[in-house]
Amino acid sequence: MKENIVIIGGGAAGLEAAYQLLTLGYTPIIIEKSGHLGGHLYDWNRLFPDMTPAKQVAKAMMERVKDANIFLNTEIISIDKKDDAYAIVLNNGISISCTAVLVTTGFQLFDAHKKEEYGYGIYDHVITNKDLEGWFNGNKDRRVDDKDGLKAVGFVHCVGSRDIKAGNSQCSKVCCITAIKQAIEMKEKYPDAEVYCFYMDLRMFGKKYEDFYINGQKDHGIHFIRGRVSEVSENIDGKVIVKAEDTLNGKPIKVTLDLLVLMAGIVCNSDTAKLASALKLPTDTDGFLKSKDNVLNIIESPKEGIFYAGACTGPKTVPETVAEARAAALAIHNHINSHKSWTSDSE
Amino acid sequence: MTERFLSAYNNFVLPFLFGMGFVLIYCLIAMIRIWLQLSADDKKKVLLSLVNPKILLKDIRDLFCDCLFHVKLWKRNKLLGYMHSSIAFGWFMLIVVGHIECFCYFPGRLKTFYYPIFFRFFVAESQSTMQGSFFFFLMDFFLLMVLSGIVLAIIKRIRSRLFGMRRTTNLSLTDLIGLYSLWAIFPLRLFAEGFTADIAGGSFLTKSLNIVFHSFLGNHLNMLPTWWAYSIALGVFMFILPFTRYMHIPSEIMLIPLRNAGIQISNPRKGLAKVMVYTCPSCGVCIDACPMGITKRNNRDATVYLNRQLKRKNEGRIEEISDKCLLCGKCGAVCQVQIPGDKLRIAQRSLRKYDVSPDYSTIDAASLTPRAEGKVLYFAGCMTALTPAISKAMESILRKAGVDYEFMDKDGGLCCGRPLWMAGRLEEAKQLIAKNEELINGSGATTLLVSCPICYRVFKERYKLGDIRVVHHTVYIDELIAAGKLKVESADELSYVFHDPCELGRGCGIYDQPREVISRMGKLVEADKSHDESICCGGSMGSLTLGFEKRQAMTENALRNLTSENPDAIVTACPLCRSTFARYADRPVEDIAEIVDKKTL
Repeated sequence: MKENIVIIGGGAAGLEAAYQLLTLGYTPIIIEKSGHLGGHLYDWNRLFPDMTPAKQVAKAMMERVKDANIFLNTEIISIDKKDDAYAIVLNNGISISCTAVLVTTGFQLFDAHKKEEYGYGIYDHVITNKDLEGWFNGNKDRRVDDKDGLKAVGFVHCVGSRDIKAGNSQCSKVCCITAIKQAIEMKEKYPDAEVYCFYMDLRMFGKKYEDFYINGQKDHGIHFIRGRVSEVSENIDGKVIVKAEDTLNGKPIKVTLDLLVLMAGIVCNSDTAKLASALKLPTDTDGFLKSKDNVLNIIESPKEGIFYAGACTGPKTVPETVAEARAAALAIHNHINSHKSWTSDSE
Repeated sequence: MTERFLSAYNNFVLPFLFGMGFVLIYCLIAMIRIWLQLSADDKKKVLLSLVNPKILLKDIRDLFCDCLFHVKLWKRNKLLGYMHSSIAFGWFMLIVVGHIECFCYFPGRLKTFYYPIFFRFFVAESQSTMQGSFFFFLMDFFLLMVLSGIVLAIIKRIRSRLFGMRRTTNLSLTDLIGLYSLWAIFPLRLFAEGFTADIAGGSFLTKSLNIVFHSFLGNHLNMLPTWWAYSIALGVFMFILPFTRYMHIPSEIMLIPLRNAGIQISNPRKGLAKVMVYTCPSCGVCIDACPMGITKRNNRDATVYLNRQLKRKNEGRIEEISDKCLLCGKCGAVCQVQIPGDKLRIAQRSLRKYDVSPDYSTIDAASLTPRAEGKVLYFAGCMTALTPAISKAMESILRKAGVDYEFMDKDGGLCCGRPLWMAGRLEEAKQLIAKNEELINGSGATTLLVSCPICYRVFKERYKLGDIRVVHHTVYIDELIAAGKLKVESADELSYVFHDPCELGRGCGIYDQPREVISRMGKLVEADKSHDESICCGGSMGSLTLGFEKRQAMTENALRNLTSENPDAIVTACPLCRSTFARYADRPVEDIAEIVDKKTL
């Protein structure tokens, strides 16, 4: 089939959609701004709930899209609607005309520097969830001082999520379970370490998440403290001091830690905003792209021929993203078919 | 000059006499009541101030400069200044010259209140003299001055923008009656004196009028009704004066000596505060100044409306206006009669009763006392604890300059008390202040260095710290650089604008040192409105009720003001302003300590 389909973003959503479209007989074009496919999976170590290695998942997904046209290190210079098609010009000089565009630009993590009171970029031993995954992947990080092992580690939930003052009022959904996953992984590495999770609410909505939480408490002895961190400082040895209120006990607590991990929330990818303004796509009140309908039609944009999948419409887990990508592939297929029958009718 | 009537009386003076009598008695009773409301200490202070030649001289100077010449208004807007001073000073001079004139010719008539006011009705010019034409000229001259002011006042009602005011107050009904009767007085006087100009004499204004409109004004049958109208206008104005904004005229005369005596507001409804409320002339300059005014709905939360509601005893609105305010103090800075809107509101908040009150008196100060014999004691404050980049920069600066210091609240400390003070919880604030005084005085430090202007203000205003010097880091850094202890490594081409934090600028009067420091680091540019007219960042903890979204509009407005010269970065000296601006700014927002730390050796 000749119809061109452009997928913007080669992460989990883009790869899965490309695979499904290939299966349906199309040859989609994947445009990826970075030098590799896989998106955030590339930076992650293991995935909840079965601790599947992220690399393995990414690899499996990449294997299946070999026949697609893939442009790495490529950005979109312009995108315009021309009659029934979209004309896209890329920074490598190629221009494409396509019938359908699938936006899979995903998310980016909230910039933890903005929550200055937590000391990211200021104190020596404060990192983010993504930094920790990188360290799990074997990247060197001088902020994680594990010469003598780690004795105390803290996780701050909801950094830049559910936080109006940080300009981000929505829940990032996946950080609760990520924090518990990472806390357990830390505990597995350093069984004697004290691990604290400072949370507002724990939202264990997914398959087997609650089991994770119970394991974290029962088997690993992780301290779950309900209360937001009020203040982070540094002592003379450079250790991190965290002050918080334990709202269940009604008491202030103060702990000294070797490492503090900030669970940076999910915000809409800043590149998505550029794309949205080029195509005049509306943004929802949460800052993500606005779907045609948030109940029945999350994968369609209000513009004909533009489809969404994955975290560009809001925070999502990998399985949710994959399911959406499949749905989007089918929707694109239906769109092209109806388009064809409409044009042949009129002829 | 001869008298036309043996009785020296006509019934038309009655409206004036009643009005005059009423307003004098009213003001006298009000004065006595205010006096009785003052505490014994305040009474003593006021009495002592009246025998202190220095303060007395200031009283007299203020009376002339503020009440008659409106010097502050002139500085704000020339037209506005001329309008007010021409009416006030012109009228004052009409009364004074009128009395002198009466004294020169018929000193015996001075004891009837009305004679100098209606002089031209009762006398006839027997022959032209130099002395006579001199007085005629003066009287006509000052009448013209007042009339020109009245014309401007009428124009201002229609087009306030010409006078530099975007928004002005909505007048109440009694204010309108007062306004119209005031406007009527002087044209009526002109006409009345125009009638008698061919009898009692006149000068360029009244005489000319009499000649030009001779067919009307020359008819003496029309004379009496016009003098009646003039007297009625005066009577109405004086009758209604105590219930209108014009009460500011007598009130200001009382406020000046009270303020100069140095007494403070204690109750928002009594004593000094009451005089202040009545001194508010409802000019509405504070409406444009108020940072909340950017949201139209908040227009009626400016101090002028607080004063109006306080007069009306409208409790619901009084509480709403008092709680909403950010306490930035800008209304007081622009106020023509220097009414401190922030202090009035704090006094109002202090009336609220709380079911539960924290007790800080049990805190064990001894165990918290830092040891800093002969050292500088650095107090970062809770807001700086939330912006650790500032305290880190400050520590780095102190190390570079070789200052022997102790970080008082590195591991947490007691609140300075200012937030509680702003909330009107004065007793609790005083408990914290007492504890902190114990800590600081017991530390042996020589200097208390403070990063947060909110803390700095309360340390300055309310703490008794003996010989320990309290200094804000802007001033301290300026001194370190001036003394050569801190070497500027690289001044750059970047331009910086300085945001004056409310508590540092208007609160403590520190404007120059931060600018001095910044101009050593790069190019200093000024915001559209700066110094004592700087616009609050919107993050102030002064407001008890203002929501986050509503503050956003204020922050964005303040940022627009700061970036009028398109600076490369915004510099401030308050951790709260810094984090508030950083949330919405399109360019870097930094504390002065951070910039200095980056650019010094």
